[in-house]
Amino acid sequence: MKARTRAATILLTPFFLLFTAVMVVPIGYAVWLSLFTEKQSGLGFGGTETVFTGLDNYTAALGDRAFREGFGVLLGYCLFYIPLLLAGALGLALLLDSALARARRFFQLALFLPHAVPGIIAALIWVYLYTPQLSPVVQAMEAGGIGFDFFSPEGALPSIVNIALWEWLGYNMVIFYAALQAIDRSVLEAATVDGAGAWRIAFSVKIPLVKASLAMVGLFTVIGSLQLFTEPLILNKGTGSAVTSTWTPNMYAYTAAFDRNDYGLAAAASVLLALTAALLSFAVTRLTGRRKAGTARKERTA
Amino acid sequence: MTRSWSRTSRVIAGTATALAVLTACGGGGDDTANKPNEPVTITFWGWAKGSKDVVDAFNASHTDIRVKFEEIPSGTAGGYAKISNAVKAGNAPDLVSIEYSSLPEFVSSGALQDIGGEFTEADRAKLLPQTVELTTLGGKTWAVPFDAAPQAFFYRKDLFAKYKVEVPTTWDAFRKAAEQVKKADAKARIATFFPDDPTTFEAMAWQAGAQWFKAENDTWKIDTTDAATTKVTAYWQGLLDAGLVHKNASFSPEWTGSLKNGTTIGYLGASWGAGVLKGTLPEQDGKWAVAPMPSWDGKPASGMLGGTSFAVTKDSKRKAAAVTFAEWMSTTEDGVKARIASGTSSAFPAAAALRPVAKKAFDASYYGGQDIYALFEASGASISPNWAWGPTTGTTNTTIKDHFGKIAQGGPGIADAVKAGHDATVAELTKRGLKVEG
Repeated sequence: MKARTRAATILLTPFFLLFTAVMVVPIGYAVWLSLFTEKQSGLGFGGTETVFTGLDNYTAALGDRAFREGFGVLLGYCLFYIPLLLAGALGLALLLDSALARARRFFQLALFLPHAVPGIIAALIWVYLYTPQLSPVVQAMEAGGIGFDFFSPEGALPSIVNIALWEWLGYNMVIFYAALQAIDRSVLEAATVDGAGAWRIAFSVKIPLVKASLAMVGLFTVIGSLQLFTEPLILNKGTGSAVTSTWTPNMYAYTAAFDRNDYGLAAAASVLLALTAALLSFAVTRLTGRRKAGTARKERTA
Repeated sequence: MTRSWSRTSRVIAGTATALAVLTACGGGGDDTANKPNEPVTITFWGWAKGSKDVVDAFNASHTDIRVKFEEIPSGTAGGYAKISNAVKAGNAPDLVSIEYSSLPEFVSSGALQDIGGEFTEADRAKLLPQTVELTTLGGKTWAVPFDAAPQAFFYRKDLFAKYKVEVPTTWDAFRKAAEQVKKADAKARIATFFPDDPTTFEAMAWQAGAQWFKAENDTWKIDTTDAATTKVTAYWQGLLDAGLVHKNASFSPEWTGSLKNGTTIGYLGASWGAGVLKGTLPEQDGKWAVAPMPSWDGKPASGMLGGTSFAVTKDSKRKAAAVTFAEWMSTTEDGVKARIASGTSSAFPAAAALRPVAKKAFDASYYGGQDIYALFEASGASISPNWAWGPTTGTTNTTIKDHFGKIAQGGPGIADAVKAGHDATVAELTKRGLKVEG
């Protein structure tokens, strides 16, 4: 027992050291920074004085319409993106699940490939495809009578959702496909014997059986969406698009620190965002935990 | 049991990787103290065209000071963020490039040191007074001005001739010319509105006589509702509404592409633009010409668009060496020649005595041998001395840029963007504890 405790201590120490150095300390520093503001006097050319301002940075962030609008954008993004992602990935997974074995491998790889492209590169490529005078896509659309400005205020959200879908569809498809493959084949055979067609099997047997992965992917995507940063930043910096520098809460923090030199405000915004993420994660784990307990109970009674 | 062990081994593997990464990142960056007799080494961060050539020339001709040049992205493209972070982290270079518009922000955040002792009154007298004015804040000297950036209008003289368009000297004539260009070729436009770059617009307001930031009795007076700004705003909104100019991000592939295929036949820029065009469009050699900026009353008038100065960061212990190098770049013949001769820079030196040197060093054959420096000279003299930059340029310009991006037919316009920039500026100054009116 003692030897085991020692082993555990020795083996876990490096983890906790690193965890402290790269997680706990920076978070603590951010919280610390968020309590201070740089104040100036006169015309402001006499340098700055760091003043403890308590929660002022938090009220400033929460009182800033741009910051609140960032959460609104995230909400819109989730409502737009997640249904498309789930439906698309599930649809593709079902297709793969029922396709020929040879085509299966090819499509699995082909669909997964975009996920291997780093987000920043994907965003740069898409910016090119969105730019009116350069893009063959926009030109083709215009030739077909569809005029759509990807950089306009109405176009900004669809533009970002499209990039995200391109990046994540294949990845989540693989998750659903794995879940579908795990379904007991005898269940499917039984359904076939009972006279169910492919559609009926997909909707009444397969989808209900992968509901858990659907919920998991959905909830993880919500939490991941809070981090939305790279793609909109590229659209903000490289173009004159309607994606503002404070489009998402993450971008708000970035702009506060690096364009406005207000590290206190940036830290406060980051802490608020982290709190939101923590709350959501907590809710998610509670929800999924309860669901698991629920299904276990059901299985026992069955 | 097996499960917990496999998890532990995963933790170990992860830890080992993380440690390797950490050690790889560590080390470097420390400056050992300079011993006597050995040259002082200073680090310089910049992005202006020809900087590398200037540093090489300096190092070749000096034994007491060695300059280590590190190229950073241009200011608003991330360079300023890099400088601020380095200052904050205490590992900033000795000398940094800062544009006039951002200098007050760096001064007010305490990132720089006063160089009045090294860069004296006599030194400053050699430079264009407007640039000295822009680097003197709160009665102290904060930077060595390098170039002035008088506005200029670059145009395709072959296409202007083909479309029978006169080079406009007033903004009224410019609009007429814009209409003619559009009529001659439905796809072509005379110039571009840059929604990503408020400074181009601000230079227009500056030229018209606006004065957005005014310091009086320890109070900032913010005024963007003056007649000049209103006039410029309405004018550009009119051009946009009538579709007489393109709306593209500056220096974007989109903009460059339209220059390449002749659908943009003019560029409202500044002196340094001559080098940029030459470098970006080498195949259009001989097709471009430069004209003075159109003005409201036909008399020469100019704002300033960009323009670089060199400042010493607050923790630098090699201030004297840094200022020596900065002055060499700005005020000596060798320094200016080295930069211009690189072929990529058409900078207009703030030092009056060096303009003939710059003119000689710049190969103007791209502009059909036009005496572009004489034009810059006249334009430089007409730079309105009233404009000053406030200490919140980052906030002001980011806000305006955000709102420029939202400009849409029938939707928000330039005036809304300027108003938003104004409000954000006032709020930011107030938050910092400064007195502000406006």
